[in-house]
Amino acid sequence: MNKLPMLLDCDTGVDDAVAILFTKYLNTLELVAATTVAGNVEVEHTTRNTLQVLELAGMGHVPVYMGADKPLLGETVTAHHIHGMNGLNDIELPLPKRAAEAMPAWDAIYEFAKKTPGQLTVVAVGPLTNLALAIAKYKELPGLLKRIVIMGGAAVGGNVTPAAEFNIYADPEAADMVFTCGAPVYMCGLDVTMRAYVTAQELDEIAALGSKQAVFARDVMQGILQFYCTYKLGGVAFHDPVTVLYADDDSYFQTDHAGVRVETKGKLTRGKTVTDLYSDKQMEHNAYVVTNLDREVFKRRVFEIMAQYGE
Amino acid sequence: MNKKIPVILDGDPGHDDAIAWVLANASPMLDIKAVTSVCGNQTIEKTTYNAGRIMTLIGLTAPLAMGRVKPLVADAIIAPTVHGNSGLDGPALPEPSAKPVSQDACTLMAEILEASEEPVVLIPTGPLTNIATLLLLYPHLKSKIRHIYLMGGGIDFGNWTPAAEFNILVDPEAADVVFQSGVPITMAGLDVTEQALVFPEDFERIRALNNPVATVVAEWLDFFYGFHRSIGYPGAPVHDAVAVAALIKPEIMTMVDMYVAIETTGDYCKGTTVGDKHGTLGKPANARVIMGIDRKAFVDLLAEAAAHYGASHFGKEA
Repeated sequence: MNKLPMLLDCDTGVDDAVAILFTKYLNTLELVAATTVAGNVEVEHTTRNTLQVLELAGMGHVPVYMGADKPLLGETVTAHHIHGMNGLNDIELPLPKRAAEAMPAWDAIYEFAKKTPGQLTVVAVGPLTNLALAIAKYKELPGLLKRIVIMGGAAVGGNVTPAAEFNIYADPEAADMVFTCGAPVYMCGLDVTMRAYVTAQELDEIAALGSKQAVFARDVMQGILQFYCTYKLGGVAFHDPVTVLYADDDSYFQTDHAGVRVETKGKLTRGKTVTDLYSDKQMEHNAYVVTNLDREVFKRRVFEIMAQYGE
Repeated sequence: MNKKIPVILDGDPGHDDAIAWVLANASPMLDIKAVTSVCGNQTIEKTTYNAGRIMTLIGLTAPLAMGRVKPLVADAIIAPTVHGNSGLDGPALPEPSAKPVSQDACTLMAEILEASEEPVVLIPTGPLTNIATLLLLYPHLKSKIRHIYLMGGGIDFGNWTPAAEFNILVDPEAADVVFQSGVPITMAGLDVTEQALVFPEDFERIRALNNPVATVVAEWLDFFYGFHRSIGYPGAPVHDAVAVAALIKPEIMTMVDMYVAIETTGDYCKGTTVGDKHGTLGKPANARVIMGIDRKAFVDLLAEAAAHYGASHFGKEA
């Protein structure tokens, strides 16, 4: 079976790193490019981390394009307390053998979309600045995409604030541009990603698979186990990796067609993804919200993929 | 017998306010000191008139005072799609047997608080305009407020807009004043009230009680369910009665203490009750938020209250 092209827009990041590892062994998608953005850490770090993790995965051939170093408006919001100073839980991977391409991320997104009209899936797991800039520059871009799958937002609740999830909070204006761009947008928010957790014991079982990639996956994720105690979660949320798995195969997830807009002006609610899933009042249904998954199938996929890296 | 709890009912009736008051008035635990009206489901003239009609129907003789004509800052929003043009469409009701007192709502509330030897419970089931006005004008009376049991907001979702519940949306600034007041608050928001569903078979159980109040309650439920059925509900969420039930029967509910703040600006989130479920903001809890209810026990409570209005109830009043 021919795999369809996928572009990963990321702010690597501990869970982005695992998401990158996952892209090598998907059933329906092939990673053709990665673009980077400031988010979990500064864009220089996310770009270097992306290059390093791709090489660790044996995907040094996938081109990397550096993107925005700050949101459309305002100042960069980072999360060093979760991802470490270097963004990879301060694990030092070998220095990358190559550099990012010269083309900026937003041009790369357009070029890859144009190459395969109607076939490219963009999986965006960081703040949505690059996609927003690409949409602003190329008005035909939304019509060229198969779909946009984002990790971000929440129909209910938030994490960085009580009302907002980090990726959307980091660039709310960009997020609203993406949700209203006209391409099919699929939102893997906290509603589903908090259910896609992996326990401490399961992380050790992943490492026990034996490959250096599997050991790295455990080591990079276990630094944030403590953080999730606040949420009474049994393990670490695989926010970005589960989003890649959703893009690959959505058959074990629940998805609802819904209206989604991003609050950009609220004092307490800036960055909230407002959805009409549970309200009397309905909005224009411009997006798909992923609300649940079969965790057993998710877990099986995690182990299947990581096992393919060998021992 | 324990001493009765003095309470003031403040609402914008409204079918669910009406049923909340039927419940409060039937409870031997409560001493209803006053009823005050607020604009919300309908204009202040209509909600005041409806309040008078309900009080006459249920034999409640406390003073009634009319609230402010509009929210503190915002323009009024009304809900005729839910409650009809009168604000309380459905069964015929008696004309009010008494006129509202000459004082406005917050003046009457202040007088009652001043005069009361023990702190009074406030039960607002509409926008929080009157309560906020009271707190702003008479801050020294906060200590005379034992607790506020309110229907409003929703931590996880809204109704009138995707992010906001009607009562808070109508007067977000007033809600902000109330939630920041430091007065103990129990919040019956959509998280619980959308679980407080009364099903059509429950309407029949109440109708079969066959007293003048129970018959009207069943017909109110018939009307109120009409709107909710049209948007897919399996029953009528009797929101406001949960606020009263939280005072007289808290053991049928689950509650979580958390910090709640009101969004007063925004394109989509004006009127959102932001609940800090995970303690992200590090602020002390200012509200006890009801998150769950035993639906059957809630319906039993309503049915028992409706049964209270047999001939002897009115015999006593006459």
